[in-house]
Amino acid sequence: MSTWKNSFVQLGSFALILVVIGCGGGAPEPQPEPEPEPQMTEPTVDEEAERARMEEERRRREEEERRRMEAARERVMTVLAERVHFDFDKSEIRPDAEEVLQRKVTVLREYPGIELRIAGHCDERGSNEYNLALGQRRAEAVKRYLVSYGLSAGRFTTISYGEERPLDRGQNEDAWAMNRRGEFTLTDQGRLGGM
Amino acid sequence: MIRETKYLLSWPVVFALIAAAPASLSAQERDSIPSDVRVGILYQPAFRPGIAMPAVSAPEGLEELADSVRTIILRDFDYSDRLQPLERGADMPQQGPVNYALWDELGAVWLLIGVIEGSADAPILRLSLHDVVFKLVQDVRAFDLRPLAHPDGRMAIHRAADQVMEWATNSPGIAATRIAYVGPGRGGSEIFTVDSDGFGARPITNDSSIALSPAWAPSGDRLAFMSYRRSDPAILELDLAHGTSRVLVDLPGMDMTPTYSPDGSSLAFGAYVDGRTEIYVYDLLRGCCPERVTFARFANSLSPTFAPDSRRIAFNSDRLGQLHIFVSSIGDSSPELLTPYIYDRSVHNAAPDWSPQGDRIVFHGWVANVPQLFTVAPNGRGLRQLTQVGRNEDPSWAIDGRHVVFHSTRAGTAGLWVLDVVTGRVRKLVGGFDVRLPDWSGRIDSPSRSGERSSDSVNDNNQ
Repeated sequence: MSTWKNSFVQLGSFALILVVIGCGGGAPEPQPEPEPEPQMTEPTVDEEAERARMEEERRRREEEERRRMEAARERVMTVLAERVHFDFDKSEIRPDAEEVLQRKVTVLREYPGIELRIAGHCDERGSNEYNLALGQRRAEAVKRYLVSYGLSAGRFTTISYGEERPLDRGQNEDAWAMNRRGEFTLTDQGRLGGM
Repeated sequence: MIRETKYLLSWPVVFALIAAAPASLSAQERDSIPSDVRVGILYQPAFRPGIAMPAVSAPEGLEELADSVRTIILRDFDYSDRLQPLERGADMPQQGPVNYALWDELGAVWLLIGVIEGSADAPILRLSLHDVVFKLVQDVRAFDLRPLAHPDGRMAIHRAADQVMEWATNSPGIAATRIAYVGPGRGGSEIFTVDSDGFGARPITNDSSIALSPAWAPSGDRLAFMSYRRSDPAILELDLAHGTSRVLVDLPGMDMTPTYSPDGSSLAFGAYVDGRTEIYVYDLLRGCCPERVTFARFANSLSPTFAPDSRRIAFNSDRLGQLHIFVSSIGDSSPELLTPYIYDRSVHNAAPDWSPQGDRIVFHGWVANVPQLFTVAPNGRGLRQLTQVGRNEDPSWAIDGRHVVFHSTRAGTAGLWVLDVVTGRVRKLVGGFDVRLPDWSGRIDSPSRSGERSSDSVNDNNQ
């Protein structure tokens, strides 16, 4: 019982010391800021300018952020939209297509909410109906490649357009090479969609 | 047997063609066919019995119809490649008994006399076919016609022509048929139909999407086709009497290349499975139960076509690393290779169609990277190349098992063409670079009464 009383007294004096230290900080006591006037009077011109400046600052920062996001979005969109091309009657991923897909893998890891539709296309030379199957295989080959880098298969859907949607209607090697392709469209924009 | 003999007779022609070609070309050009295949259109001016048809007599007000009837019927005979219409005789007198000796002198084997009776709303065409050689009446029948402007107007006349064909040649005519095909449309492509004589080409879908691979139901009143109208491509069926379409089959992933069995009980089609395309058969009678009938992992199987027995199919597959035609019994998962495998060559055989008689399968195969038409027996024998000029693809048999419609770029103008595989005669059906994937119908019967009734009631509702 006495021990308890003792410690209580000690605690009291300790608190007192703390108060003394707290007040006698050595440095001249700064004038406390005047309490902001209760909003009874009209704000002064100065205050309004200040608020406008803050507002401007906030807007500027927002704008900057928006531009930064826009640039990021632009970059993501560009990377994702980039087509891959195939050899004639083949659905294997070529080395140049692999580079394109690697860039997509990086972006898709960065934005896990993005979902893609992969469309396979063919040149006009094979039979109309076989090209539907070939385009499907191309789309599937691209999907398999992306999934092999750990991306979830559920993020990709595939479709084939066979030779029905050529980019170039020419009947020459260049046009055919251009038309044998995989195309990408976003079906879910993930985080990008929130902007 | 008779046909085979005819082809053998033309061997000198074939030899001349091969000998004329530079040696280097003949070695390279045929990279998808073996060297022993017969090359060349085997043009045979086969005997076509002459048929004469004097002007059709008609009551006042129906003369124009009478003229059209004669023109349409004679053109049908010409397009049949079995009868030779004679221009002479249009102004021959028809009063009194038939002067057989006179018609014989004019070169006619058959004489067709037509008379139109009845009213403008319900004209009747009375046809009598005379055998000039035996000097007797072969057959007589009255046909219900329609005014020409009626949707069934021309078809009713074609049906009469087909009946005469059957009397004269004992084999079915192909005049009362239509060809469905893919043509250009706002959203990509639409399905079109055209009469067998090239008249009445018109779109029958208006989906502003991609429509492909039309296939006639054996009844001729419905068409299945592949459509991108929904986000997931599916097989739709179009009811031609009512102009309405419905989803017939929509498995997850792409469904494509539909074909009806000749008995009308099932539909075979290609569908997505696990990253590839396989063939399924769907039970049309029960309206359910798609069942897979090909099993080739890592390969595509598509474009099925039924044998006349509805129990076997031919189809297209790349399972050997080359594109080939296979034949398989439904329910037996070991298909047989039909087209020759050629080591180390790029082979591209596609688009098979089994003839209604069952004896030949027509398809296109690449020769020097250009598709050409071929036929082959279902046991893989007797491979024959039918075309050599331009690109020739996606053939489809007529019900006579003798004519084939296909897409071609011959003669500098692309379009759908009809080839008589017996004589090698070709005619253009529809022009245009974007018309493709034709499918030849069976006989188009007159619209059923129930169909007429319901279409009438639709009209009533609109009024």
